[in-house]
Amino acid sequence: MVSLEKIAHLADDCRFDSTGPLLASAIDPEKLRRLGEGTRHDVCASTFSPRERPLPGICHAFTQDGRCVSLFKTLYTNHCTHSCSYCTNASGCSRKAKAFSYTPEELARITTSLYRGNYIEGLFLSSGSGRDEESIMENMIEAARLLRERWAFAGYIHLKILPGASEQHIREAMMLADRVSINLEAASASHMSEICATKDYERDIVQRQRYIRDFAAEKRSEDSALPGMGRLLPAGQTTQLVVGAAGESDREILERIVYEYREIGLRRAYYSAFSPQAGTVLEGSIPQPLWRERRLYQMDWLYRVYRFRPEEIGRAFDEAGFLPNSDPKASIARQLLEGPVDPNTAAYTELLRIPGIGPKSAQRIVALRKTRPIASRAELAALGVRIRRATPFLKINGWRDTTLEMWSD
Amino acid sequence: MRVPENFLYYLSLHRQANERLLSLARDYPAREIELAFQPKQARISKMVFEVMGEVHRMKAFVRLSPLGEHVLYGFLQPRHRIEEHICDHFARRNEGTIVVLGSGSESWVALCRRGGVYRDRGPGLTETVQRLKKVLPDCGEVGEQESNVEELWQVYYDSQYCRERKNVEAFKRYMPRRDQESAGLRLVQGRRETTLDDFLKIK
Repeated sequence: MVSLEKIAHLADDCRFDSTGPLLASAIDPEKLRRLGEGTRHDVCASTFSPRERPLPGICHAFTQDGRCVSLFKTLYTNHCTHSCSYCTNASGCSRKAKAFSYTPEELARITTSLYRGNYIEGLFLSSGSGRDEESIMENMIEAARLLRERWAFAGYIHLKILPGASEQHIREAMMLADRVSINLEAASASHMSEICATKDYERDIVQRQRYIRDFAAEKRSEDSALPGMGRLLPAGQTTQLVVGAAGESDREILERIVYEYREIGLRRAYYSAFSPQAGTVLEGSIPQPLWRERRLYQMDWLYRVYRFRPEEIGRAFDEAGFLPNSDPKASIARQLLEGPVDPNTAAYTELLRIPGIGPKSAQRIVALRKTRPIASRAELAALGVRIRRATPFLKINGWRDTTLEMWSD
Repeated sequence: MRVPENFLYYLSLHRQANERLLSLARDYPAREIELAFQPKQARISKMVFEVMGEVHRMKAFVRLSPLGEHVLYGFLQPRHRIEEHICDHFARRNEGTIVVLGSGSESWVALCRRGGVYRDRGPGLTETVQRLKKVLPDCGEVGEQESNVEELWQVYYDSQYCRERKNVEAFKRYMPRRDQESAGLRLVQGRRETTLDDFLKIK
């Protein structure tokens, strides 16, 4: 223990550049609200960043829709010249709100104040295109630079890359952020043309994703020659799709995402079920059920984490290419598993294909059976296996429980 | 592994931990505690998870108010003995800033400087903050800057809510009332969005 006076003396000696007190009166609450609302359909809230000293994923609050609020998620400006038919900031929206915009310094001050107060883990900065995409992108980068370089901000930064941003701006953003992303919004160029006439899917979006991939690879090879340097873009590149706005099927969405994982090196994808907004072109369209979003996440998880092959996950779609509202892993298991699986002899990859067994419980099963055989369902439950779901597909000590669950959802 | 190798540290922070339990736990490797087939191991594992869970939620829910440039203070009254651990966490997160956490009767002070953490423990939070004000006279008045940030946060927080995704049960599950109280949060922001139906369903 050290006396309070000595601690105060030591703190007084610390000469960090301070942001100074933040005056709420200087920030228009209406601006804060409008620009905050502009990102509420962006579902990415992850703050985990595998830096040299990893940043944890912490949720500082939850809204009444049960979603995590861990980042100061905001638009730089809500002025936009694009004509996305689902968006309230688009040029065609009849109920368009008054245009607001931050300055880089304002954004940096709000972010540091909220971060120091432990309200957030960092900044998620997106934007409308403004009058000129290049200058908006420049200002977004300037806000991140102020945070990192002037105020030594150690929190998480997720920067959105605006469609059509220059390669130079993309490189600068990548040098400052933990994660960058550019939203695909639709599963293909033809679907994109149905919901937005002003974005060129291939040139404005996919080509920008390739720039990110290539620059990350280039820096990685340079950094490996200089050990000890901080990693570029530790949380990688992500994207988001609006599910159902352009009438695409789940199969089309998953095929695009598999391409993104394989060819673009995406860290992960986010799905946001389309819900019609007042004043937009698609105001009268049918909202997509939230379960559709959830089933897509499950399929994504099976491919990305459980390492299912595309032809395996393809079994979960119906003839029209849509997912039913039931667990896709159970559906795939019913079609692919030829008989009950013995957890004492099954390979790790086989265990992963059983509903109710995930990567961690499969690892624990493999570790335990090296010391002694698994003799009961209770032991599997203690290893984290969801017994009710797994039982129809398991055979323990030569016995198997046959239940109707095997054949029903 | 859900149970970390240093699980004894977390166990020692549990409010019911004692020497007898700790010496018993020393005989078990982390993996056995994790699998927890025996009742004793299951009890230890449960206690470790209780402490780790509270540590995680306090890191998330405690709010810090600025007092000048050099001090951040906040309310903390956890169920387990994690005050010093949480105070260290916030000191490391805000290097060069004094962090004071506590309640009416006790307070913990920490400062991280050049990687090292200096600590003190004192009487109630208010008293410690007043003492700091005397030592650092240019730090301003208590609560002066707090309301500014809190107002900004409230506006921003409300802006993130999607009515079409309303799910009050998930909200209650992720932000338990008990932990909100331990961290001194203003309870259930956005209550105005709930309806009588939600209330009846929760009860």
